[in-house]
This record gives sequence, structure tokens and C-alpha cells, in this order.
Amino acid sequence: MENVKISGIQLFLLIIGFLFGSTSILTPVASAKNDAWLAVIIGGLGGACLVWMYVAIAVLNPSKTLVEILRNRFGKYLGNAIAILYIWYIVHFSALTFRNFGEFIVTVTYPETPMVVIIGIFAALLVYAVNSGIEVVSRSSELFVPLLFVIIIIISLSLITTHDFTAFLPLLENGIKPVLHAAFEFATFPLGEIFVFLMVFPHFNKKINNLKKIAAFSVIIFILLYLWSIFEYLFVLGKDLLYRANFVPHIIASLIPNSNLEPLIDIYLIIGGGVKISICIYAAAKALSQVFGISDYRKLVTAVTTFSVVLSVWVYENLLEMVEFAQKVWPYYSIPFQIVIPLILLLSSYRAKTD
Amino acid sequence: MIRKVFGKLFSRLVKIESDKKCDPETNLLKDIENLDLTADLKANLHRIKQILGDSPDVVIRTCRIGWKQEICLAVIHIDGLVDKSLVNDDVMKALMLEVQMVDRKENLKGKHILESIRDSMLPISDVKNVKSFADFFDSVLSGDTAILVDGSDVGLAVSTRGWKSRNVEEPASESVVRGPRDGFTENLRDNTALLRRRIKTPHLRVEAYKIGKLSRTDVEIVYIKGIADEKVIEEVRRRLRRIDVDHILESGYIEELIEDAPLSLFSTIYRTERPDKLAGGIFEGRVGILIDNTPFALLVPSVFAEWIQAAEDYYERYPIGSLIRLLRIGALLSSLLLPSFYVAITTYHQEMLPTVLLLSISAAREGVPFPAIVEAFLMELSFEVLREAGIRLPRPIGPAISIIGGVIIGDAAVRAGLVGAPMVVVVAFTGIASYAISGYTASITMRFLRFGVMVLSAVLGLYGVMLAVIAITAHMVSLRSFGVPYLSPIAPFNVRDLKDVFLRAPWWAMFKRPRLIGHNEPIRQDYFLMPRYFTDEEDEPVHERRDHDD
Repeated sequence: MENVKISGIQLFLLIIGFLFGSTSILTPVASAKNDAWLAVIIGGLGGACLVWMYVAIAVLNPSKTLVEILRNRFGKYLGNAIAILYIWYIVHFSALTFRNFGEFIVTVTYPETPMVVIIGIFAALLVYAVNSGIEVVSRSSELFVPLLFVIIIIISLSLITTHDFTAFLPLLENGIKPVLHAAFEFATFPLGEIFVFLMVFPHFNKKINNLKKIAAFSVIIFILLYLWSIFEYLFVLGKDLLYRANFVPHIIASLIPNSNLEPLIDIYLIIGGGVKISICIYAAAKALSQVFGISDYRKLVTAVTTFSVVLSVWVYENLLEMVEFAQKVWPYYSIPFQIVIPLILLLSSYRAKTD
Repeated sequence: MIRKVFGKLFSRLVKIESDKKCDPETNLLKDIENLDLTADLKANLHRIKQILGDSPDVVIRTCRIGWKQEICLAVIHIDGLVDKSLVNDDVMKALMLEVQMVDRKENLKGKHILESIRDSMLPISDVKNVKSFADFFDSVLSGDTAILVDGSDVGLAVSTRGWKSRNVEEPASESVVRGPRDGFTENLRDNTALLRRRIKTPHLRVEAYKIGKLSRTDVEIVYIKGIADEKVIEEVRRRLRRIDVDHILESGYIEELIEDAPLSLFSTIYRTERPDKLAGGIFEGRVGILIDNTPFALLVPSVFAEWIQAAEDYYERYPIGSLIRLLRIGALLSSLLLPSFYVAITTYHQEMLPTVLLLSISAAREGVPFPAIVEAFLMELSFEVLREAGIRLPRPIGPAISIIGGVIIGDAAVRAGLVGAPMVVVVAFTGIASYAISGYTASITMRFLRFGVMVLSAVLGLYGVMLAVIAITAHMVSLRSFGVPYLSPIAPFNVRDLKDVFLRAPWWAMFKRPRLIGHNEPIRQDYFLMPRYFTDEEDEPVHERRDHDD
């Protein structure tokens, strides 16, 4: 394994960038309409539990990647088989992120450019970054992710005059059910996706206990920032527009009076999406190299990326299908990968530890 | 990936070259290697003449000295490299008069003549023994005067170096308003002296190397023992030792042969003409490399932040230094991105401009037949040509060219309808901004990258600009200079070292050396050096030297 270390602040920024990745364009809790904020809180708590579970697995199996943990717990053959399923899931997931990204750019900024060009150029850039090592990805995130905070603050401050602070009323207009559904969605997208970091945690350079603090801190920061954004979306757009709009953050940015700050959202998306996809590609390539005993994951990066770019172009017919999939199918598709298998891993690692 | 491709290409080329197998110069050097001086003066002189040939500037003076003219010796030096008055008044006089008088009293014949000359008769401080022909030629060809005595297989090399060299002048490429005005010269000894005048600690170390099979150039590394990282010093030594070229004419040769990222556009080694800058770096724990025959010294490890630090930042008061540095960062960014922003916005994102400005820009561009990118390339390229011409031209014509270029071509191009007036403004500003960066190398890099970013911006708009910025950054964070990450205090992030990146903290606040460079002896000075007023009753407090922990 290459001897690369990630510092605490780098890991924090990587997680934040990862979580803001696709949420910068899609709004997972929008189906709860004016109770979206409630869904963020409930889903945030659920998601935090998931993240806690992943971190606990990492703490119980220090300096082991997901693949190694799976092999340890399930034996060589079953472990490798499950690892391959995970690799598929991660590649699929990065393809979806590519697609989100391309769909947004093509819909909003460059309607006449073929999507594969947009995605392809971006993918080439990410291949370069990931090939230079996870260290380069984490250092770049150190430079760029702080921009996300700046953008969020700029956008919300410049919209302060258009707020309608009563927009979240009435409470629970449609009952609790849609709220819970949206909360579940939010827990699996984006919080549950943190499981990918099980491939990255072994590079963490401090004591493993600090990992808990950093993960907790970054998840709390993310949930608070997202809660803030959701309130802002609600106050500015109102419940109906929030529910119907495809790219809420983009609409928000275009509503800023007297100036046109739409490209800020592009920047936001490129940074977040870049971090997210490069982590996914790294995780998939690394896992693949470990499953098949290939010494260097770099040999696989180009292949994995190419596959996921092709998949991203094939996977949906259009934008609406993508939104539908993200809301209806993705949460259930994720259950075994994000909840069931990690839970088994946690319990069996815990038993192995106590025995 | 790019690295891989280039690496393969280079290794292929190298292979083709090495297949041809030709190295005449190794034969050339073979005849000196492992050859020692003999006791027979005639044989030695014969061999020397054979090797040096009969060049007119080689002076070989044989003489018989002593009371009875029984001692045979030869004095050898290169005319022009030696201080003639030193050779005549001290060396020759001592040999001819002093030896004669001593010989009359003590009869030197048959004793260790060479040793007695060296130890008691030669009024010159720097005298060395030479035993082999290799040492002999190294000394003589560097300006020493050699004395060979018949009957002794050891010669003397007397340091009589002295040649015409430039005076210490103000450095041309890095001038300041406030600060010392002396710059390095082409003479290595003068340069080490300039450095010694600033660093008087006995821990300053100078290590000498001779690099270049034919040029035998003196290269010296300078550092403060105890502060500089031993690993870095050892790495510098190792990389210098593996250089095996036939000549070194400038520090650029060394730079290219020892740098970490030979395929990158960014330079990972800092170069300067200012002794104060080199001294500052050495005080921080860096290692300086001085090369003979060039006023440019190298400094490693180097981080990108150094290219936006000018010497003057540290001499002006810190608020001024900080503000000017912010200005310089702005200049750096606009020299890289401004034309691309203009191209992207006028081509793809017109809605971003306020309506009034948009109207005036489109009015100005109305008659222009080209798209914005062609306009930008036309103007940028002509500006680059003008600049290059301005540098190469004889000095009196330079300003004339820049006036013709800047004013006349710019104005005429607008009138002729080739480019829009806003483009001229953008290009002119970009050109000026690229001069505000303190490192000339960095400004060249930015100029190169600018064209790439412009192409991307013309193809993909702001999205392309953003991708280019991310690509450049990803490349920069992957670079290292002698083990230190290139974007060091920013990524990997270190709050303490940021004191000297975007802003310049006051000197009383910079009590520690940069973490990744001066970690051997991290504490630079005490806390609480901030000046303040003390009343008579209150004595100036004596602070215990505290442990500064992070």
C-alpha cells in the first residue's frame, strides 16, 4: 500500500466536499415540501447514525480498507464477492454523479454541447488528479472546498431581502409520512454514501480516535449548513417551487437581485462533484486492485473512469428519469450496501474484538 | 498520465541517442587521471607542455635560484587569471631574493627546499600542496600559481587569483525602492563574501564542488549547520554529485539537472540575484547553491509562495508589505486568468455583465470581424513579441519599441477594426500585471499557462476556465521541492506559516521558522518582542524563554 497520509483538516474538507457534491444541484428532501427542514433534521440524525456505524467499523479494524475488512469477516471468497458488488455500487454511484453533473451543465449553461463532451473533459481532469494520488485530491480539496462555504454565505446573504420567514408554515400539512420518506432519502443520499470513505480512512495520519471527532464534526457542520440552505430555499422559493424545480440552488442563485451569480453554482458543483467523483473513482480502483491483487491502483483508474463515464451516458434517458431514480429507487437500492452489510460488519467486528 | 507519456518519449529518445555510442571526451580526460607529479622537474614540465599545448597565455617560467643558483624550479600560471603584481612582487621576489639570502646563511641544497619555501619564505597566506596532475591543473586553470621544484614530487599552488570582474552593482532583475542595492556578481568569491557579510554566525557552512567534466565549474552549497535540515543538505549533495555533464555555464544548468519536476512548467527551485534574499532563505533553514560565473544563485527547497514575496515586503513596514503582497496576488491571478475571463464572458456568459457595460462592449466590438478568442490571441501574441523584442534590442532602442508597440499598434489595431478597444485594455493590463509578480520565472509560467486557459475558455466558457484552474492546482499540489510540498503552507494547510504568504506578519510576530523547512531549530526568536512603552517605575519585563508548542 502506498504510504500516503491525510491530515485531519484534509479529511474534514474531503467529507464536506463529498457531502455537498450532488446536493449542490439536487435537493433530496424536496418531496417533503414545506416540512423539508424537518426531514433534514430527522434524516440527518438517521444519517449520522449510519456515519457513526462506518466510523465504528473503521475504528474496530484500524488501517484496513473496506475490502480487507470484508475478507476478514466473510472469508476470502464471500468477502471478495461482496467486495465486487460494492465496487459495482461505487462505480454506478460515480456514474450517477457524473450524470447529475453533466445534466446540470447541459440543461443550464451549455444546451447545445453534447453531454459526453462535458462529462468526458471533467473525467479526464479527475483521472489526472486521482492518478497523482489521494494526497493530491485531498490537498486540492484543501484549496477549493473552503470556497463552498464562501459561496453559500455570499448567496444566502445576498438573498436576505427576499425572504418570507413564514414559508415553513403550516407544520406537517400532509402528515408525517412524506416527511419520513424524505428523511430516509436524505439519510441515504448523501449521508449514507460516506461508506465510500472506508477506503480512505486507512490513510488518516492521526490516532484512530480522532477519526470519530472529525467525522462527527464534519457531519454536524454539513447538517447545519444544509438546514440553513433548506430554510433559505423555502423562504425564497416557497413550498411549491421547491417541490417542482429541478435545480433549486441554481434558481436561487439566479434570483439574486441586480447581478448574475449563476456561475457561482457551477463552481460550487465542479468543486463538490469533483471531490465526490474522485473519491468514488479512487475507492473503486483501489478496491478493484485489492480484490484482484494488483499492486498499483493507478493502473485501473483510467479504466474505471471510462466505464463510469460510458455508464453515466447510458444510464438515463433524460433529466426527469434521473430525478425520479434519485428519489424513488436510489434509497432502496442503497439499503443493503449502506445499512445491512455495514451492520453485519459492525456486529461481527465487535464480537471479534470482545472475544 | 502526461508524465508517463513524456517519460516514455524521453526514455525512447535517450535510448536512440545512447545506441550511437560516442564519448570522445572520456578519452580526453583519461590522460590526466591517476597521474602524479614526479621528482624530475624536466619530465613534469614536458608533460605539462604536452597537455596544455603551447597556448600564449600559459606562462612557464623556469629559474635557478639560491646563492649558487643550484636550485631549479618552475613557476607556472595562466596570464590573465592571476594578479600580476601579486605574482611578481610577492611570489617571484620571495623566490629570488628571500631564498637567496636564506640559502647563503643555511645552505638549503639537499634539504626539503619546497617545505622551507612554503613554511617560511612565501609571504602569501593561501598555499596548498599539489600531488597529482589533476589537482595541478585544477589549481592553475583556476588562477593559482604553481611552483614546482626539481627533486620534489610535490608542487605548491599559491593562491594568486585575480582577474577583471564586474563590480558589485544593483541587481538588474530584482530592484527595490527600499533595501540594499548590492547584487551578486559573476565572481564566486565575491558572492560568498557578500553572503558572509550578512551571516556572521560561525555555523555558516560552505561546501565546494567542481562540476562539469570540461568546464570544471566551481559550485558551492551554503547553509547554516543546525538550522538547515540534514536530509535536504544530503539530498542536495547527492543530486549535485550525480551531475555528469561536460559544462556548466549558468545556474540554469544546475537547476535543470537537480529539480524535482523536470517535466513541469513550474520551477521548483528559486533563483535570485540578491544576496539579502539568499541570506533570508538561509536563515529560514534553506540551502543556497552558488555557481561560479553567474550572478544567479539557487535556493532550495522552494515553495510557490516565494514567487509572490518580494524582498521589499520585508523592509517596508508590515501593513504596507502585506497590502502590496495582496495586490501582487491579484496581479498573479489576473495575469493568468483575465483574458480568459474576458473571452469566456463575451462569448458565452454575456448575461453576467451589467447591461450598460455589455452595450458598450458590443458597440466597441461591432466592426470587429473575429471572434473574441482570435482577437485575444492576436493581441497577446503581438504583446509577447514586443516584450521579447524589447529585451533583445540594444538598450537605447528598447523604450522606443515599447512606445511604438504599446501606443501605436494598440491604437491602430482598434482604428483598423482588427480588435475591439476593451481587448486592448485587457491585454495591456494583463501584460503589466505579469510584471508585478516578483519572480520572473513565475511570470513566464503564468504567461504560458494563460494561452492554454484562453483556449479552454473559448471552447467551454467559464466551465473551461474553472477546469483549467482545477487542473493547474491539482498539478501544483502534486509537486514537491526537495521533499517540501510546493503549495506548502496553503495545502497542506498550516495556520502558523500563513503569516508569510498572503500577508506579511510583523517581525515581532514571526517567532518561528517555516514548519516544513526550518523544523530542525523551529524557534527563530522570543515571543513578546512587540515594541511598547515602559514607564520608569516599571522595568522592562524579562520573559522566560517559553516552549513554543503548536
